[in-house]
Amino acid sequence: MDSLSFIWSVLPVLLKGLVMTVQLAVLAIIFGTIIGLIIALMKIDHRPLLNWFGGLYTWFFRGIPLLVQLIFLYYGLPAVGIVLTPYMAAVIGLSLCGGAYIAEIIRAGIQSIEKGQMEAALSLGMSYGQAMRRGIVPQTYRRLLPPMGNEFITLLKDVALVSVITMVDLLRSAQLLNQTYFRPFELYATVAVLYLILTSIFTVVVGYLEKKLTLPE
Amino acid sequence: MIQVSNVSKSFGQLKVLDDVSLEVQSGEVVVIIGPSGSGKSTLLRCLNCLEQVDDGLINIDGQAVRPGVNYLKSKDIYRLRQGIGMVFQRFNLFPHMTALENVIEGPITVRKTPREEAVEKGLRLLDKVGLADKANAYPGQLSGGQQQRVAIARSLAMEPKIMLFDEPTSALDPELVGEVLAVMKNLAKEGMTMMVVTHEMSFAKEVADRVLFMDEGKILEDGKPSQIFSDPRHPRTREFLKKLL
Ligand SMILES: Nc1ncnc2c1ncn2[C@@H]1O[C@H](COP(=O)(O)OP(=O)(O)OP(=O)(O)O)[C@@H](O)[C@H]1O
Ligand SMILES: [Mg+2]
Repeated sequence: MDSLSFIWSVLPVLLKGLVMTVQLAVLAIIFGTIIGLIIALMKIDHRPLLNWFGGLYTWFFRGIPLLVQLIFLYYGLPAVGIVLTPYMAAVIGLSLCGGAYIAEIIRAGIQSIEKGQMEAALSLGMSYGQAMRRGIVPQTYRRLLPPMGNEFITLLKDVALVSVITMVDLLRSAQLLNQTYFRPFELYATVAVLYLILTSIFTVVVGYLEKKLTLPE
Repeated sequence: MIQVSNVSKSFGQLKVLDDVSLEVQSGEVVVIIGPSGSGKSTLLRCLNCLEQVDDGLINIDGQAVRPGVNYLKSKDIYRLRQGIGMVFQRFNLFPHMTALENVIEGPITVRKTPREEAVEKGLRLLDKVGLADKANAYPGQLSGGQQQRVAIARSLAMEPKIMLFDEPTSALDPELVGEVLAVMKNLAKEGMTMMVVTHEMSFAKEVADRVLFMDEGKILEDGKPSQIFSDPRHPRTREFLKKLL
């Protein structure tokens, strides 16, 4: 079988892996963003205990390689009676770790808003929470898009790590196919191309959103 | 309406307000002048609790502010600020909201006013500051003078009893100063209690009931504009006014 027909014949299997990769990435992005926002707000809060917790969180999850975190979640935790499915371990690991990086991005974004904005909001009688929610955080969306887009692409690529905890993502499905067909060049080249297509789509979407969120002047 | 008793405030070693006392009656327009760094902004900011005083007592419309409350988390202070409008040198409009959205933001978020009612009032306020046709413009699409007038309308939307202005025209091109001062004069005529930090001496002469001169954290002079401008008591005032003219 020539290369192209071989790729064509295994493409459905690879695409199934691709769907899993995208699914994990999307979940990690959603949960990671929620976690990131909460941790960012903790880090800039005026209550020291929350600052401390926020700092601890990012220190911890950014300080340990994601690969180690995933292996620990899946292979380590059962020893203390916590058994996670590979899928759960993957989602939890990616979200917790992604959240730490996203928290730093959001914190920097919020702190880049001029002090006067918070003061204007407070002057209207808003509480600190209202001022954040209505006045400050929405202003950061446009500024956050480029770094968040980068982080999302990083997360998408990091999903490949879950193949070590037996998740059948894009990379792992290629590895499994290779065990049967021994055609690593075609298989991994296809994986690479599929990743490129995914990240390119992502970049285009982020660029489009950036234009859409730019305020008229 | 406003009572400030022996208020002091330091930033580190620097004493920015030094045992300041003053009283402002309802409907009075008080203009504060003084050299850079004399504590004018800090005084205004202490009045609506954007800064925390170290010492002394502030009483605004029956509500007392004492040192030692947590300014970011006190419901009393949130409520106090609702009754005090603040206009900043750099406008500080919310850039992600249109002029109208800026104006209705306070009533909707803080007062829970129904949207239609807030919009109706918001449009009326924009009309009052001469910007009815700019309701749907974003701050980035407006001139400085227009932005400042929107900012005034935004403050007025909360129906404050007191309006504080911190150099409201200092960031404006000279030809745009007049339109903002005109809005402020109107407010004064309507009986609004106002404290205005400004270098616009014409405004002080024309509109102020009283002029305060501040220097190094102290109020050195407090009197009618006619008296202060023609016959200042303190040599520092004389010096300051001479430099200005
Ligand atoms: N948050 C702060 N931290 C430290 N120092 C401050 C702070 N805010 C003001 N200061 C200092 O306090 C002094 C008084 O400041 P303030 O802004 O009240 O003066 P001002 O009379 O309004 O001057 P200007 O005419 O320049 O606006 C200045 O020396 C200023 O540098
Ligand atoms: Mg000032």
